[in-house]
Amino acid sequence: MQVMNKPDAITECNTLNDKDFMRYSRQVLLPEVGEAGQLRLADAHVVIIGIGGLGQLAAQYLACAGVGELTLIDMDKVEVSNLPRQLLFSDADIGLNKALVAKERLKFLAPNCTITAYETSFNIKQLYGVLQKKRQGKCTLVLDCTDNFETRQLINRSCVEAYLPLVSASIAAFSGQLFAVDQISFPSSGCYHCIFPAHTRVSHSCSTQGVLGPSVGVMASMQSLVAMQLLLGMDSRCDGALHPLLGHFWRFDAKSLSWTSAKLTRDPYCDVCGVRKAIPYLT
Amino acid sequence: MILIHINNVAQSLTEPTSLAAVILAQDIALDSVAIVLNAELIPRNRWQSILCQHEDKLELFSAVAGG
Repeated sequence: MQVMNKPDAITECNTLNDKDFMRYSRQVLLPEVGEAGQLRLADAHVVIIGIGGLGQLAAQYLACAGVGELTLIDMDKVEVSNLPRQLLFSDADIGLNKALVAKERLKFLAPNCTITAYETSFNIKQLYGVLQKKRQGKCTLVLDCTDNFETRQLINRSCVEAYLPLVSASIAAFSGQLFAVDQISFPSSGCYHCIFPAHTRVSHSCSTQGVLGPSVGVMASMQSLVAMQLLLGMDSRCDGALHPLLGHFWRFDAKSLSWTSAKLTRDPYCDVCGVRKAIPYLT
Repeated sequence: MILIHINNVAQSLTEPTSLAAVILAQDIALDSVAIVLNAELIPRNRWQSILCQHEDKLELFSAVAGG
C-alpha cells in the first residue's frame, strides 16, 4: 500500500521564502548550510527503511530539518513494547502500521515535506521511483534503520546495484554501529557485505538482548547527522564529491559513551560490490 | 616474540601468525566477527594472508543488526 501527501512546495525559484527562512534560520546560520544548503535539503529525497527506534527519529529529524521528500517503509505495526523508545508513537497507535502513523504525525511536524509511506517489507522495486528522481537531478540517500541482518543484506545489495548512497545504523544492548558508503563517489570503501558477508552468524538484536531508548536515539541522531551532511555535500547532479564521512565504520559503546572509528576497505572478491554487473533497470 | 593487542589485551605470538589463526586460537568462529587491524577493517578474504606484526592492534566485534 502506498500513501502520499503533497504539501506546498518549500521554495519558489532559487530562494527561500520569508517563512521558511525563519523556520530554518538556525541551520541557515551555519556557513556549511546557508541558503544554498537549505535549498539543497529541500530538493533531496531520503528513503528510510524501518520506522522503528532508529527510523522514527531519523524521519523526524530529516523532515523537520527541511528535507523535501521522504519515503518511509515498514511492514510492522506499533506494539506496546515499542513505546519507551519510539517516541513518535503513542498507546492509541498500537496495532497501526508504523510507516502510515509516522506519515500522519510528520504532516503536522513538517508540513513542507512530501511523504510516501509503504506498508510493506523492503523491496528493490520501491527504489525505482527514487532512481527516476535521481536521474532528474534530485539528491538521494537511503537510510537503513531495520532490525534484522537479512534485510540489511538486501538493502545493501539493492543500494550497490542501484548506485545509491547508503547510511546504515544499528543498535542492540549497549553496542551501536554506523557507516556510510557510496558506490559512485567512494567505491574503494566497499559495502556492508565486505564487512559482514551474508553467511555471518549474528546474535545481536533488540528483541533478544534488550536496549535503552537513549542509546537508540544516539545512533539515530548520528545517522541523521551523517545523512544531512552528505546531502549538503552533494552537488546538484548527485555526483557526490568525496565526503570525509564516507568510508568509515563507527562503533558506539553506550556504557562508556565511547566511539571507535575504522576505515572501510572494499573486498575485491565481494559477491555484492566486487564484480559489477549490468543492471537492467538502470539502462 | 611478536606482541599484539586484541581488544586492548596484550598477547604474545611465538611465530608469525595469520589473522585467521589468531581468531581461531581465541575459540572464535571466523564467520561470527569482523576484524579491525590498526584502525582499518580487513575483509575476511584477506585474513589467511595477513600475518600479524609486532605491536599490531586488533579489534574483534560481531555484527549488530537491531534498530
